[in-house]
Amino acid sequence: MSDMRTEYSKTLIELGRVNQNIVVLGADTTDSLKTAAFGKEFPNRFFNVGIAEGNLVSVSAGLAASGKISFASTYAIFLPGRAVDQIRNGIAYPSPPGKKGLDVKLVVSHGGLSVGPDGGSHQQIEDIAIMRAIPNFRVFIPADTIAVSKLVLLMANEYGPFYMRMARSKTPIVHSESQEFQIGKGITLRDGSDCTIAACGITVRMALEAAEELQQEGISCRVLDMFSVKPIDGDLLEKAARETGGIVTCEEHNIFGGLGSAVAESVSERYPVLVKRIGVQDMFGESARDNEIQLLLEKHGITSFNMIKQVKEIRSKKL
Amino acid sequence: MGLNYYHIKKNILRARKLVIKSTSVAGSGHPGGSFSMAEILGCLFYKHLKFDPSNPSWENRDRLVLSKGHASPGLFSNMAVAGYFPESELDTLRKFGSRLQGHPDLKCPGVEFCGGSLGTGLSYSIGVALAAKIDNKDHHVYTIIGDGESDEGQIWEAAMTASKYKLDNLTAFLDRNFIQQDSYTEQVMPLDEELVGDDISEMWKDASRWKTGDKWRSFGWNVLEIDGHRIEQISAAIEKANTTKGVPTIIICRTIKGNAVEHMEDNPQWHGKAPDLDIVPLINLELDSQFMIAPSIIAGDMTNLANEVKRCINGRADYIHLDVMDGQFVPAKTFDHNKIKELRSITPIPFDSHLMISEPVKHVRDYAEAGSDIITVHAEVCDESSFGEIHDLLKQHQVSVGLAINPETDLPEWSYKFLPTLDQLIVMSVVPGKSGQKYIPETHKKMSSLSPILKEHNFIGYVEADGGVTLENVGSCFEDGARAFVGGSSMIGQNNVREAIREFRHEILRARRKVLLEKAHQLGGSDLVNKWIGLHVVGKKKEKITKIAKETGLI
Repeated sequence: MSDMRTEYSKTLIELGRVNQNIVVLGADTTDSLKTAAFGKEFPNRFFNVGIAEGNLVSVSAGLAASGKISFASTYAIFLPGRAVDQIRNGIAYPSPPGKKGLDVKLVVSHGGLSVGPDGGSHQQIEDIAIMRAIPNFRVFIPADTIAVSKLVLLMANEYGPFYMRMARSKTPIVHSESQEFQIGKGITLRDGSDCTIAACGITVRMALEAAEELQQEGISCRVLDMFSVKPIDGDLLEKAARETGGIVTCEEHNIFGGLGSAVAESVSERYPVLVKRIGVQDMFGESARDNEIQLLLEKHGITSFNMIKQVKEIRSKKL
Repeated sequence: MGLNYYHIKKNILRARKLVIKSTSVAGSGHPGGSFSMAEILGCLFYKHLKFDPSNPSWENRDRLVLSKGHASPGLFSNMAVAGYFPESELDTLRKFGSRLQGHPDLKCPGVEFCGGSLGTGLSYSIGVALAAKIDNKDHHVYTIIGDGESDEGQIWEAAMTASKYKLDNLTAFLDRNFIQQDSYTEQVMPLDEELVGDDISEMWKDASRWKTGDKWRSFGWNVLEIDGHRIEQISAAIEKANTTKGVPTIIICRTIKGNAVEHMEDNPQWHGKAPDLDIVPLINLELDSQFMIAPSIIAGDMTNLANEVKRCINGRADYIHLDVMDGQFVPAKTFDHNKIKELRSITPIPFDSHLMISEPVKHVRDYAEAGSDIITVHAEVCDESSFGEIHDLLKQHQVSVGLAINPETDLPEWSYKFLPTLDQLIVMSVVPGKSGQKYIPETHKKMSSLSPILKEHNFIGYVEADGGVTLENVGSCFEDGARAFVGGSSMIGQNNVREAIREFRHEILRARRKVLLEKAHQLGGSDLVNKWIGLHVVGKKKEKITKIAKETGLI
């Protein structure tokens, strides 16, 4: 198990050493996000603007408009959830000639239900929908620390606005060190011919577990890590639809507007097959202590068990 | 360096006309807030801002962030006047496919910030200023915020942040016009104090009620409070801000929404409404009819001129007329450039130095360096060559250039070539050199014969009436085309200079209203007269204008 925020911080510092234009901003959560370490090494390129998320976003935009690459971070609930106007009108909309949006990377932690004890008020289950709806933004949901590190480097090298959502809890490694990450390209983690599970973030591991169990029952299940929720990999999804005949999606996000919606939108236009979306059923989360997060996810059906169930249901309707 | 007073003023006028033209053609837009910040933008664009219209992304340019983005017509108009794009492009404001969007947009090269969503521009400016600090650049960030906009909490988040990072390369202007979309700010959300009645001028009169400066001071800012329509005050504040180290500066500019157009002034209706096309020619004429009052201090106590200057300032003079007499060109002798230099240290108010001296070409540099903002020399002691020299030297020093003619002198033909760039023309209505003379009535005739010549040679400066101007004749001087009025004993000679100036303004305003009513009648008969009068809903303007219209038989 490894910690996404630690990896984020480490990668930022490595980046900061080779790229003088990297600036890092926080809003009184720099200890938690672990970006404070960047500030120790590069005090003149690190800004803590206090508990003022709108300010955080707009200051980041100003720096980016002056040639800097801004990484602004806090908890998911306080960025898309609070500062959507500043994000839309301050980062996504302003487009210098020949460019789209400003060069700001919003990297958040504490996405989804797995935030746990802080409760429903702090469990951001709408961010993917919000950020997908804003033009010029690209949305990443890494499954492990390897993805975090590679996506941070990718974002730094690619001009424009990005949103990346990390999980609060430590996550197991699902990718190999040599795995390549490209914008708009999903990753096939396991091949299969009977059905597909498309997942992102912490649900990728669950999908792999589900596929393993299905294998025991003789069902060959493909597993896709759709870390790039926007742009979504339409080619990979179409291929999965053609070759496996059905897709189950799973995410710790409201059922509306997240990965499931993105997959369904893409597949329905290119090669319609049954798509079953696992996610929060249009309701809010609640507190769960660290050792109870599994229970909270189970309540909302965000489990490998439910994935298996949905795969079987798709197969029964297919037949 | 002089203030470049008329240069700034003429460009502000051009920009204001473009605001009217563009919003009226577009059928929507925000003229009110464009006019309240007109002088702020004028001082920036035509004096202080470093920029290159042919290279809008020049690295070392100063950054101008219009946080109150709805006033984009004001920004775009000034950008056109400053040379970023042709003035004709303003006709595409808010039009499908135009770079000139409803709110400032990076689509238009030279625009620094996509405004529109209020409250965010100051934070953005902090980012821009921080980047300059990281890169050791010495360009400056100027940000204009609104008072209605200050309802936004993020303004105060930014206020804390700029202070924390000691951003002395950031200067904010608060366009304090007291009006937001719904109503007066002090009714919607008091920034100073709750407004009890309906008269916003109550807030103007009582400085003890102004709390906004204290708010910013308590946030750790260097706070300067000025009249936001006075070029010299804005300019002096910018200079002060640029030399203040270790803290950000906010210049709180008390302004009038819709300033320079009577029916728009202090009228919340004009926050976001475009003028009707049939009213536009009247507005343009009104803008062309802005006037200035300049007391001549030699008509006061010659033994204490510093005190006379102070009386003029307290009396709300627009600038001060300084009659320099050398005892040769005119029999009398007053003072020279040394006195002007001494007076300059008292105040930034514009100095209008009228040199009644022989061989001005030999001395004009001294007067420029002493701190004059406008220098007028006499045609009688110049020729094409020497005036050319004077003209160029003054322009280099950012001093406005004036030419004066005595009652018996005709405007010399050699001066015609200078008319397009001449800032001021004084048509003397007394023989210079003695005070207490009566206005020479033939001046009216002279003015009317001059008028076509000035038009033909593209004179866009200001005609100054000088000599024997009184409350009785000031209206007719205005009708003759004078826009600056020198007051001698009738003004500075009075015990209460402020009241005297107020009465002069009142008389000129009356003459202006009459001219505008006549124009309305000429363009659209009594319908247009009534429509125009009907626009004047604030205060007692409507009654007063109606009275003039009745007296002149226009309704």
